[in-house]
Amino acid sequence: MGDLVKEAVTIGWPLFALLAGLFVYSLVSSKDGVARKRSLFKLLIGTVCAFLLMLAIAHYKGSFYEANRMLPVSLVLITTTCFMMGIYFPNHAALFKIGGFMFLVAAGLSGYGNWLPQVEGGFPPAEVKLDFSSMSAQALADEGEKIIFGGIGKNKEQGAVGKGQCPLCHAFHAGMLGERAPNLVGLPGRAGKERLEDPKYSKGKAEARDFAQKEAFPGSGTAENGQEYIAESHACPSCYVVAGYGVKGTNDKESPMPSIHKPPISLSLPELAAVDTWLYLREGVDAPSYEEIIKSYEKFVPEADRPKQQEEKAGGGGGDLMADGTEPVDQIFQKAQCVACHTIPGIPGAKGTIGPVLEEGTNALLRMKDKDYKGTAKTVPDYIMESIVAPSIYVVKPFPDNTMPKIFGQKLSAGAIKKIVDYLSQVKVGSPPPKIS
Amino acid sequence: MGRVAGKKIFSIMALCAMVGLLLLPIAVSLPSLAMGADAPDAVKKEGEAKVEKGRDVYYKTEGIVVGAPAPKTVDGPRDYPRYNFESRVLLWFANQQHLYYGSFVLAVPIFCMVIEFMGVVTKDKAMAKRYDQLAYDFIKISLTAYSLTAILGGILIFTFLTLYPAFFGYLSGIFRPVMHIYALMFVAESGTLYIYYYGWDKMRDGFLKWIHLSMSVILNVIGTLLMFLANSWIGFMMSPAGVDEQGRYLGNIWHVIHTALWNPLNVHRILGNMAFGGGVVAAYAAYKFLASKTDEDRAHYDWMGYIAMALGVAFLIPLPFAGYWLMREVYAYRQQMGITLMGGLLAWLFIIQATMIGILFLSTNYYLWQALGRMRGAEKYQRYIKYLVFILCCGYLVFITPHTIVMTPAELKAMGGQQHPVLGNYGVMSAKNGGINVIITTTILSFVWYMRGNKVSTVSWSKFGNIFMGVFFACAYVNIIWLAIYGYYIPANVRVGLSVPQVATTLSCLFFMFPLNAAMMKGAKQMGAIEWGKISVRSQYALIMLATAFTWMMGLMGYIRSSVRLFWHVNEIMRDNSPWAYTHTVGFAANMISFNVLFFWVSILFVFWLGSLGMKKAPVEAKAGVPGGAPQPAGGH
Repeated sequence: MGDLVKEAVTIGWPLFALLAGLFVYSLVSSKDGVARKRSLFKLLIGTVCAFLLMLAIAHYKGSFYEANRMLPVSLVLITTTCFMMGIYFPNHAALFKIGGFMFLVAAGLSGYGNWLPQVEGGFPPAEVKLDFSSMSAQALADEGEKIIFGGIGKNKEQGAVGKGQCPLCHAFHAGMLGERAPNLVGLPGRAGKERLEDPKYSKGKAEARDFAQKEAFPGSGTAENGQEYIAESHACPSCYVVAGYGVKGTNDKESPMPSIHKPPISLSLPELAAVDTWLYLREGVDAPSYEEIIKSYEKFVPEADRPKQQEEKAGGGGGDLMADGTEPVDQIFQKAQCVACHTIPGIPGAKGTIGPVLEEGTNALLRMKDKDYKGTAKTVPDYIMESIVAPSIYVVKPFPDNTMPKIFGQKLSAGAIKKIVDYLSQVKVGSPPPKIS
Repeated sequence: MGRVAGKKIFSIMALCAMVGLLLLPIAVSLPSLAMGADAPDAVKKEGEAKVEKGRDVYYKTEGIVVGAPAPKTVDGPRDYPRYNFESRVLLWFANQQHLYYGSFVLAVPIFCMVIEFMGVVTKDKAMAKRYDQLAYDFIKISLTAYSLTAILGGILIFTFLTLYPAFFGYLSGIFRPVMHIYALMFVAESGTLYIYYYGWDKMRDGFLKWIHLSMSVILNVIGTLLMFLANSWIGFMMSPAGVDEQGRYLGNIWHVIHTALWNPLNVHRILGNMAFGGGVVAAYAAYKFLASKTDEDRAHYDWMGYIAMALGVAFLIPLPFAGYWLMREVYAYRQQMGITLMGGLLAWLFIIQATMIGILFLSTNYYLWQALGRMRGAEKYQRYIKYLVFILCCGYLVFITPHTIVMTPAELKAMGGQQHPVLGNYGVMSAKNGGINVIITTTILSFVWYMRGNKVSTVSWSKFGNIFMGVFFACAYVNIIWLAIYGYYIPANVRVGLSVPQVATTLSCLFFMFPLNAAMMKGAKQMGAIEWGKISVRSQYALIMLATAFTWMMGLMGYIRSSVRLFWHVNEIMRDNSPWAYTHTVGFAANMISFNVLFFWVSILFVFWLGSLGMKKAPVEAKAGVPGGAPQPAGGH
């Protein structure tokens, strides 16, 4: 509370100075005792209101990122201010009361928004370089489960969605109703029989199809076996639509499903092979080999349309490492651009002022003791690690939150982070900087 | 006589010249638009040997590549320069303020057009004068806001250029063929607005008044086209077209403008702007009512508030249906986008939206019930209000009940599934549709009661008419509620289709009961006058509630629409690689929306105050047409 009052006075001192001036002026200028009393009383009310207003602003400023659930408190303070002003300044009562009412409505709505469960959408998932071709079938299936559900063993968890976004529409277990797309239980067995034998599928006669698309691309033809059917349905969902699951109004001629190898999902062929392998293995069925699955996709995805992982990473939010840990620590700081924002003793060119000076050997201990510290670190290295991976857990005052990117956990290798942590742990106020290794 | 004829001819010529000048930029630009901009010339010059073609991501047509690919940005000062603050929040603020003011200044001229037209066609001269004065007051308010809109537009562009140069550069490159049209139309809009405003007194009577009225039509046509062009930017960002997969422009600007979501966005925004404009003017009237010192002023502003509220609500009623259409198109465009909105990351925001819609309709009904109090003879309806309150509350509770919600695994475990064991049974779509349709139908009923509050029908078939209306409303309620319950017994994909008969029932009440009521009330016996100004103070707070809630909802919906792109600047074409490519929590968004709403209202109250300074200097004559304390004829509504 003391800090809040201090901040309120810091922000509002010109206003308080003005009010004090008016106070003195009223005392000395007015001859009429009653008028003087009235004006002094109004000034007193005005001062209280100004203080409440500044308190509200200081609270708003301080809580903007750290404790945004408390922000409606500021709005309630301003509401009180407005109604007080409305009572004691009748000439503008309508304006103040309307203002107060609006602030009250906004406080209620803000409070409601903060009362609801808070869901924050994270960054797009980082892409990690994996060599799918050399993996065992089980390892490949695990990667597939991660792509579908976001993690190994998450396939029975409701609401688990991975990069592939499949569970948004498909169900994967018996008894679950897929309202938007077919349940994929038993797909490996069904694909080669029921689907290919369906007259509507027109196996081998793509030109006879009565769907929005006849072929994945001119000359691709139709699937000849179950795996090819799965590949085709991923690459060209509108080449065959299961009855009841078409876009509304198209009479099941067009599928609502996007081509999985294209944006927004853009799974590469190896990733699709992993997904398919999981579909087989989880039913206890032997999956086709990696090469066979890739070949099935190549039949339906022209070379020009195959996602180029390297290119995606250049534009993407993760993937390429800034530093892999083999570099000396000063280069790691340079590559990760820490030097642009921080002053780091002993690192050439690290004179940034956007973030705090990184003398963590001294400061980390103090910060962990700060009452505003909400993290879990107990040691200096843990604190530094936490600050790199999740910089919003504790933000050094007066620096604003969300200035430091939250991507270093993905952009730096474990080795690189360790080097940074080791170095910064040794930087102490008043001591010579440690040796660069 | 000859002089008057000469004036008329001169006026017509001036109007034609003005229209010609206004359309000139479009006419000049048409050949290049039809050909797909000027870029193909450049391609020709480079040599016909190498012409690269691309496939439109949406229209699937082939076109010659004439633009650069969407830049692949990286987090750094080149693509994302920044101040010591979150750039996205700064842009959010600048954008929202510009949108609020833009919506207001686009909506008010439409009101003016309608009210001025009512004044011109009304046979009662006193009423005509009142309508004319009201339209003039409206445009005066919007004029001050107009300059602020332009200033905020400039601030918005600077914010874009300063904080998101790569993104803005790409978008302006794509829209280059129509950028100058946009600018010229803004000039045309300003010119027309100033002539319309300053010519008000000169073109007060006779044929010149019709010329003046037709100028308001031109003003609104230009304003609407301006908004459509602005909408094409956001339509392109959400559902790009006219470019290939790399984001390269393919030379057809119509494809870029006419994206999958452009039309529903246009309709939704026109209706939204009108409802918002009505809310702002109603709040202005409420403020003036509460600040009034005389009965005359109170009567005038009471009437003004009622007209603004009625116009706003007239556009609020179809707004949910336009929203359904927009969502349907979103689902048709990208199912995942629809799911993210309605059943995924942003689903909680839709729960807030449902709450807001309920608040808007509850406020409207409350105002109408309070307004019955200033009519003699309306007492007979007041005793039934408690039943309407009950129906509205039931509809509201059903409408805001969530069915499937996004939860953490721990929350899922605690609840035992994705649906709440009790509440989860109630929130299915047909029941929610039932809830909102009951609310809208009740609002229509409140309006019907209000319109016949102080009247008794004298038509020979009045008894039959009353019974027919009663049975019609009763059947409507039964049908809506029955379909809401029936939805529980059929599969989800069939259940979705129930919204059509539910909406049709509500619209039937709107389109059949209003005209029927008007026909029954023609030549009706007056039980007493409407005593303008003698309405409770609480009613004015209902108007302010309406305005604040609508402003908040507009901010919320804008945020939802923008957030659904997740980590894309241009959906699936240009990725957001800034440090802010994540979606904020619901609470953060709510706080930010509140900040924007309050900033807007504090600034618009300042605009109102400026307007009141002008009014104080207005000649006394201008107030002659203002309704006095004397009771006005019921035809006022």
